[in-house]
Amino acid sequence: MAERFAPGQRVRVRVLDAAGHTRAPHYVRGHAGTVVAVHGHHRLPDDVVAGAADPRVEAVYAVRFAAASLWGSGEHSVTVNLWDSYLSGAESSHV
Amino acid sequence: MRLNDVGGIEGFGPVAVADDAQPFHADWEAHVYAVNVALLRRGVYALDEFRDAIERMPPKDYLDASYYARWWYAIRRLLREKGVLDDAEVAAGG
Repeated sequence: MAERFAPGQRVRVRVLDAAGHTRAPHYVRGHAGTVVAVHGHHRLPDDVVAGAADPRVEAVYAVRFAAASLWGSGEHSVTVNLWDSYLSGAESSHV
Repeated sequence: MRLNDVGGIEGFGPVAVADDAQPFHADWEAHVYAVNVALLRRGVYALDEFRDAIERMPPKDYLDASYYARWWYAIRRLLREKGVLDDAEVAAGG
């Protein structure tokens, strides 16, 4: 199964308003980060919990965000595992 | 957005990171852990459903509950919802 993104690519998280369970924390929604790893393919938790008969199986990416871009300050980074559906698409490669 | 999604929210105080190397601090916590592993491995519910059940706790109860108290709530709720136990059986089991 092909992945949409590769390590090193910039991606942006969709602005989601999930009513139910999701693994996309609110503090990364709308933010851009860099893919640092692909963690294989896994069932989309949102679908599993919604009782979907055939939950989507998607690539899960480790996406690294600069803390300053999330919180306004900080020299560190935050890495979040995000399913493909949570990402809107590639961004230009500025950091 | 659910109540568990607190990353970046101020006011909860510092995170306690002291490691006393004790996985459990009471016997009941170990029992809750074991029951959950057994139910997951039997396929009674999926890990995602377990996380979802914790997130569906009433907000005040969620904030008041300890880590394993949230697990115990989720286990009982899922056993009712899956039809494994009825309300009376859950009540009798504490």
